[in-house]
Amino acid sequence: MLLRTKGKPINIEGHLVGKVTRNPDLLDENSFLLIDSFVSELPSKNFMGVLSRQDEYEVKNGENVVFKIPTLDHLTDGDIVSVGNDGNINTLYRVNSFHNTLLATERCNSNCLMCSQPPRDKNDIPIHYQIHKKLIPLIPKDCFELGISGGEPTLMGNLFFDLLSQIKAELPETEIHVLTNGRTFAWNHMAERLGELDYRRLMLGIPVYADYYQVHDYIVQAENAFYQTILGLHNLARYNQRLEVRVVLHKQSIPRLTRLAKYIYKNLPFVEHVTFMGLEFVGYAPHNIDKLWIDPFDYQNELGEAVEFLAGQGMHVSIYNTPLCILPENLWKYARKSISDWKNDYLPECATCTKLGECGGLFTWNLKKHSKHIHPFTS
Amino acid sequence: MQFQNEIKSNEVIVFADASLYSKDSIFKCLYWYGDKFHTNVSFADSGTYRVSLKPISTNQLSNLELELLLQKLERDLIDFNLRDIVTKETQNVRDLLIAKAFSNGEFDEMPPGNVSDPVGFNVNKVAND
Amino acid sequence: MIDAIPDKISRKFKEKDQFDLNRNSQYYLLPFRFHRLTDEKEIIVNEVGDYLILSNGTFESIVKRKLDKEKDKDLYGDLIANFFISEELIPPLIDVLATRYRTKKLFLNYFTGLHIFVISLRCEHTCHYCQVSRVTQNRDLYDMSLSNIDKGIDIMFKSPNPHVTMEFQGGEALLAFDHIKYAVEKAEQIAIEIGKGLTKVICTNLALINEEILEYCKEHDILISTSLDGPKYVHDKNRNKPNASSYELAIKGIELSRKLLGHDRVSALMTTTKLSLDYPTEIVEEYFNLGFQGIFLRNISPYGFALRTDTSKYETEKFLAFYKKALDRILEYNFSGYHFTEDLAKIFLTKILTPFNVGFVDLQSPAGLINGVIVFNYDGGVYATDESRMLAEQKDYTFKLGTLNDDYNDLFFGRKAQEIAQLWANEALTGCSECAFQQYCGADPVHNHATQGDMYGYRPNSDFCQKNMEIIRYLIELMESDSRIKRIFESWAKTATH
Repeated sequence: MLLRTKGKPINIEGHLVGKVTRNPDLLDENSFLLIDSFVSELPSKNFMGVLSRQDEYEVKNGENVVFKIPTLDHLTDGDIVSVGNDGNINTLYRVNSFHNTLLATERCNSNCLMCSQPPRDKNDIPIHYQIHKKLIPLIPKDCFELGISGGEPTLMGNLFFDLLSQIKAELPETEIHVLTNGRTFAWNHMAERLGELDYRRLMLGIPVYADYYQVHDYIVQAENAFYQTILGLHNLARYNQRLEVRVVLHKQSIPRLTRLAKYIYKNLPFVEHVTFMGLEFVGYAPHNIDKLWIDPFDYQNELGEAVEFLAGQGMHVSIYNTPLCILPENLWKYARKSISDWKNDYLPECATCTKLGECGGLFTWNLKKHSKHIHPFTS
Repeated sequence: MQFQNEIKSNEVIVFADASLYSKDSIFKCLYWYGDKFHTNVSFADSGTYRVSLKPISTNQLSNLELELLLQKLERDLIDFNLRDIVTKETQNVRDLLIAKAFSNGEFDEMPPGNVSDPVGFNVNKVAND
Repeated sequence: MIDAIPDKISRKFKEKDQFDLNRNSQYYLLPFRFHRLTDEKEIIVNEVGDYLILSNGTFESIVKRKLDKEKDKDLYGDLIANFFISEELIPPLIDVLATRYRTKKLFLNYFTGLHIFVISLRCEHTCHYCQVSRVTQNRDLYDMSLSNIDKGIDIMFKSPNPHVTMEFQGGEALLAFDHIKYAVEKAEQIAIEIGKGLTKVICTNLALINEEILEYCKEHDILISTSLDGPKYVHDKNRNKPNASSYELAIKGIELSRKLLGHDRVSALMTTTKLSLDYPTEIVEEYFNLGFQGIFLRNISPYGFALRTDTSKYETEKFLAFYKKALDRILEYNFSGYHFTEDLAKIFLTKILTPFNVGFVDLQSPAGLINGVIVFNYDGGVYATDESRMLAEQKDYTFKLGTLNDDYNDLFFGRKAQEIAQLWANEALTGCSECAFQQYCGADPVHNHATQGDMYGYRPNSDFCQKNMEIIRYLIELMESDSRIKRIFESWAKTATH
């Protein structure tokens, strides 16, 4: 799935954020006209600009333009893009997707061995914030769910709370799912501040990879991270925040997995959801694959014990990123089709599988590294 | 001088080095024998406790039972001494724990470590309003 | 935001040993307790009831710092993760542990919930083990007067608990049904006015139940709690009713009550007698066949019996054998796929397996008397527990807190309450203070007084201690030896907390 493209900019200053449309009748001051082929005349109304595939473009009314864009096929009417003065066109929101995510920052205070989106040590927070501030009012009010990820979003500091306030005001019906390592919430004032937003549609997804600090800290490559995260979860619970614990399954987390399940129940019984997630072969993971790889087929006992224990205690449990053919049948009811549409794929042999419709499949990048036990169901 | 644990005329006698066994642990141990035995603690010398059990009249024991009793007392003394170490070493943290449990978070510890990234983040500068 | 404190560390990956916060391998002990289970196994239990089963000698290694962080890597991790040891004097998660401790003592948060009104001492049964009730027509002397009901309700609503339970006991409570109606209607009105939750329960042998009473119960959302000691040949021997079968009346009453009120509005309690001890499986099957979700295998009550020391120990052993046989039968039902619980085990298992707790009068610390329950006797006396007023019928007024004419504070925080409070926490009792099962157990000053002659009690020959120690040990042994049983026990514990 293509999410960014680039053309030649004319008159663009800073970053423009707008919806796209091919229908001139729908154009307004917050939208760009998409031009796939030649158009003789522009509509005579106030709109944000033109995104064109044309090789040549002649400016008529001083309009903002990006031209010579290789393709616009990935854009649908209603999608929202940011257009930079460098000609970069990034898709920020796809109207036909249930998996829209705002990238809060690429900065991070952890450095997880299996990070799918490795951090960058550059302060990109102001620019992302400015773009999101323009984006949020344009998102359709019926947007079902919106993710916020990073990097570590809470490194935005005050802006993190400003961003959430704005979303709450603009999109009161939308479920918000923030991925954070939760470490900064170990400082009570951070959790208290979040509590003051009184945001019932907000859910925080926070990773806990072991019950023992050294294993967790090693996985996230940050000293004291385990203690900070657990304290953070407790502070957040104190202010009645809705919480999800996320566990990535790999060679470092599997050995203490059943202990972790008990730890979660005993120490974090207030969490609303516990998710167990298969490893993504992207980002840092290929580099660290020797430290991480265990065939998912080989950890099903540990996974089954952890999942069934937590579910047995009445907790809501899910398994993500794991094809059904790897899971024992008693765990199927926990498997979710979790992978965002634009990064979801199947192996060639899956084509004949009778369970394909129910199966979550693989990450596109996991086609290169997957369980040896994937096989199609034949009846 | 060396003392030998022994069974002597229906009485079980155990010696405990006072530098290794606490007085508290000896009494806590003997408490559990008090319903069936006359218990006694005295000093064999300035550095050694002499601990003895003598069955009360309704509690007649065979030689084998006395042998097992001796062994049980020896083991219990060790166990209660270990328990006593835990109790004493953890007294302060236990008091702290319970004080915290019945407070409202006002005595929370500062979190350990740092949460900054390489660019620089100061969690204490995030306003709390 | 950008601000000071940039973390200078690079993005280069580090090895696991670099995340060891304590490279000199020294550690501190946290409060926990130890018990030998068998010659091979020992158990340690931390301050919030989490346990680890260890091989013999491990406790000594832990205390004497013989643990090797590398060699005993898994155990070391378990001990740190489960709050048995700490690498710092003040463990980094002490506030989490404190929250868990508070959760375990949450029952203290609400104060008295259960208010027992002994609405009449009169009864139409003549049960041989009951030394309390009277067969008489004298209502003036043995029914609770309307003015005492008023005072009882007044005191009940002074409880800080946002939800109170009003339970009518006897004698046979239904002999004074008109007084129950008076009390219910008065309490309902006040509950609405001041916005408190109110649960109403009538304890009855069901001999006098009829459709008219049940219609009233339905209208006023009243729960029925009855007595059922087992099959007919046990129940009728235990519970003598002149010229009738108590069992048949109870069964008919249960059916009628379920029909009119709903299946789950009717519960039953059994009393274990010497006769019951011979019929563990039959009693369980009776409850199962009647469609109950579980059974509460209650200890033989010492009240009215002279149960002391040696006799008591013998009786307790018999009860434990009875209990284990009954529990076996209950587990068989569960193996066949039925959810059928034993409620004493359920209380213990909630404490052993979950981060939560259940308040139960003698299985909590501080004990539930006054904190959780209070009894208003038919004659206006106020007692700490149901057992306390039974002692009073034998002229023992040790646990009489006062009368309904007294001030709330004098009753609940007065001299007598303070005296009892000195020894209602097992954390502070000799024999209990270092007991591994302390967190799972409780304190029962009334029982101690009744069986041993003093409230403090003497653990070496206490039947309370003997019984609870063995049941807890047995439950753990069962779970550790059979993973199916562990699943079953986990599901029981879950139902207690949901």
